[in-house]
Amino acid sequence: MTSVRTLDWDWHPGTIPENVIVHDTAYVESTFSFNLYRSQQPGGVQYGRGASTYLGTMFDVGPHGRVKLGEFALVHGARIICDAEISIGDYALISWNVVLMDTYRLPANPRERRKELELVPARRPRFLTADVHARPIRIERNVWIGFDACILPGVTIGEGSIVGAKSVVIESVPPFTIVGGNPARVIRELDREERKLDG
Amino acid sequence: MNETESNPQGSTAAAGNWSNGIPPANVKLGRSTLLTGELAFKRFHSIEPDALVIGHGCTMDDVHFDLGKNGRLSVGDFCYFTYAVLLCELEIRIGNYVVIGWNTTITDTDFHPVAPAERIADALACSPLGKGRARPSVLKRPVIIEDDVWIGPNATILKGVRIGTGSWIEAGSVVTRDVPPRSRIMGNPAQTIGEVA
Repeated sequence: MTSVRTLDWDWHPGTIPENVIVHDTAYVESTFSFNLYRSQQPGGVQYGRGASTYLGTMFDVGPHGRVKLGEFALVHGARIICDAEISIGDYALISWNVVLMDTYRLPANPRERRKELELVPARRPRFLTADVHARPIRIERNVWIGFDACILPGVTIGEGSIVGAKSVVIESVPPFTIVGGNPARVIRELDREERKLDG
Repeated sequence: MNETESNPQGSTAAAGNWSNGIPPANVKLGRSTLLTGELAFKRFHSIEPDALVIGHGCTMDDVHFDLGKNGRLSVGDFCYFTYAVLLCELEIRIGNYVVIGWNTTITDTDFHPVAPAERIADALACSPLGKGRARPSVLKRPVIIEDDVWIGPNATILKGVRIGTGSWIEAGSVVTRDVPPRSRIMGNPAQTIGEVA
């Protein structure tokens, strides 16, 4: 990435934020993905070698949030709701309308939620800023996540695992495992042959 | 959310604003309520008086208010919706302090009849060759979402459902039945997994 923070091919008149690190070989389809980005962390989003994000990917990243995309990670339209840390491993494939959220952004208690909601209209812009405990998400290398899936706070998806379309993952998934359903359950484990990386 | 909060022409019916223009005349927006997104009223066809009434202090980012000819939708005070798709042919009533996450759909109708023969008639009526042919009747039942309900992203709320006060609907849930107050629910179909503390 050069010091020019616009993209020649962009339809959106935006820029890549200063604290976003994009590897020379990475691809950002549109700066629209940063329309809700407000991280103040150094490297608030980091693109590894050959990583790419396409239309529909939204970095809804709060002031303390950090998102890391590994080498050749391919994100085709995830809603990334991040107030702590979301890491996406090398070669991970993430489909459209996937929600990765490391925080609920609002207190679980209705009375406390009211207090925050009453403060929102006075803010410019109207972001939620309640002090809610965020729990990092880790998507390990070589993971594949199908469309419309939701990955909830605190979840780790182990290396090489597959999350079926429309799954809602509420607990961590071991390596080399296929999960599916809402709530997601183990469908099967990849066998020894399937786990081979050299074909 | 990053839209400006001014409405150069001033709002017709109300104290609230839509960042992209003037809402239809039968829309009422309360004080400090802000709507954003150019698709907000793209499929707003209701001819009912006060078809859409939203209270004060609400934030409606990229929400689609898709109301059929006789649809009526009301939203209370201090609600916060992000890209919710609200499909309303009859009635949707949403209380105060309700939060709805990104890409959640709420509908009070199935849009098409269940019986195959009626669906053929519906397909014909809806086609470019339909020429004003009447559509068969379709099941519609009001959706009621009470105060303090939290609904996560990617959820679906179907016709006839009442969600009780303070309930927590986990991301991705598909809600097909009533939800008692203060329940935590998730899944497809959604099931109770506990109570709100």
